[in-house]
Amino acid sequence: MNDMRIADRKVSTETAKMTARGVQVYYGENHALKDVDVDILSGTVTAFIGPSGCGKSTFLRCLNRMNDTVASARVLGEIKLDGENIYDKRVDPVTLRARVGMVFQKPNPFPKSIYENVAYGPRIHGLTRNKAELDEVVEMSLKRAALWNEVKDRLDAPGTGLSGGQQQRLCIARAVATSPEVLLMDEPCSALDPIATAQVEELIDELRSQFSVVIVTHSMQQAARVSQRTAFFHLGHLVEYGETGQIFTNPKDPRTESYITGRIG
Amino acid sequence: MINEKHIVSSFDRDLESVQAMVMKMGGLVEAAMLDAAQALDTRDEELAAKVRANDSAIDSMEDQIQHECARLIAVRTPAATDLRTVLSVMRIAGQLERCGDYAKNLAKRSLVLSQLPQIDGATGSIRRMSRTVVMQLKDALDAYIARDLKLAHEVRQRDQEIDQMYNGLFREFLTHMLEDPRNITTCMHLHFIAKNIERVGDHATGIAEQVIYLVEGQLPTDERPKDSGVSALAAASRMEG
Repeated sequence: MNDMRIADRKVSTETAKMTARGVQVYYGENHALKDVDVDILSGTVTAFIGPSGCGKSTFLRCLNRMNDTVASARVLGEIKLDGENIYDKRVDPVTLRARVGMVFQKPNPFPKSIYENVAYGPRIHGLTRNKAELDEVVEMSLKRAALWNEVKDRLDAPGTGLSGGQQQRLCIARAVATSPEVLLMDEPCSALDPIATAQVEELIDELRSQFSVVIVTHSMQQAARVSQRTAFFHLGHLVEYGETGQIFTNPKDPRTESYITGRIG
Repeated sequence: MINEKHIVSSFDRDLESVQAMVMKMGGLVEAAMLDAAQALDTRDEELAAKVRANDSAIDSMEDQIQHECARLIAVRTPAATDLRTVLSVMRIAGQLERCGDYAKNLAKRSLVLSQLPQIDGATGSIRRMSRTVVMQLKDALDAYIARDLKLAHEVRQRDQEIDQMYNGLFREFLTHMLEDPRNITTCMHLHFIAKNIERVGDHATGIAEQVIYLVEGQLPTDERPKDSGVSALAAASRMEG
């Protein structure tokens, strides 16, 4: 394939937002991730695919130090955000996670109002000075998450009362409210119906103009649809990383080929 | 290329079935070419009529293959080798359908030619040329099923021989026409036939290129040797001059 990309699939390969070099992760004795090198590009959706237990979620969780919360986890190697090592002692993980936001598999809104769900982050990070500014951030975040029109008349209603797809978009609104630079998504659509999935995918595509998005997904079609770069993990190794069109039409590694064509699980 | 089976075994069956269909279609086209050339050479009007009638079977086979492939894409969302397999089957079916049309056209012209005076040895030469081109088709399809890159490259290289045969016939027909204008009608028909067989050769090359696409993930980028008709045209103008 000389060029599988159509115009809006084009990405700038010049600027790497995050770079990982020689990343190893151990859970106790278990060597979960082996020597992973990858560049997460700016303005790009990067998909991590691979069978269960291949290390893709583990690696995703390294990118905002979520593995710090797992007592048995040890992370070795180097991960940089804008050239700065995120595992440096001087880096505050809470601040880091405001810059590298995360959306989880199951929608997990706080048991609070829709408004409070989105306002929480900006408030604790002191990103706004007054109520008017906070209102504006909430509105903008809900708009970015394509949820505003559906909830603008009931911002005081509990977030948990929304439908599954709306809850997930609420979680995305909550994640974008702190203006992160990178958004990590761990199977964000696995609990959603096809319509809600399409809405989230549309959203991901819009978000990439502002952030780098990294998505872990078990749906290879979803990876093919939303991403410009795809990384295939297998047994803790990063087997192949490349342009999404190339990975899905002409992968270089036979293990990638076997996986994406449904030959190994 | 990988030889492992899919976890979902019906996926393998689907892929095998579209490939089997395109092979069967190839067999029909090869037979049509040989029969049409024989009908021409032996002035067998019955055989020519049979070739014309059978073309609809080739056409409907193509429809069926395209339909099955579309269904397979919709249902299985094939990727990588599987995707290239489906795409190449669709393209090959299209190429074979064209070849079938040329065979039908040959049969049609043979019916006209059987009413006209013969040109010495011409139909025999045409028949030899169609045997060669059918060999090319057969080798290209064998290369496809065996994923045989070497054979596919050979087919590409050998197309030159068919081009040369065509150029030779072109000169011969030209000579006959210059000699006696009463030969013009016959020779024009014979010329179209030769040109069409030469095109079947190009389709065989196209199929061989699909083998390369299937195995390597991209079409060959090198130029293959060509013997274009330009030299024959130059020869013609010299004769006229």
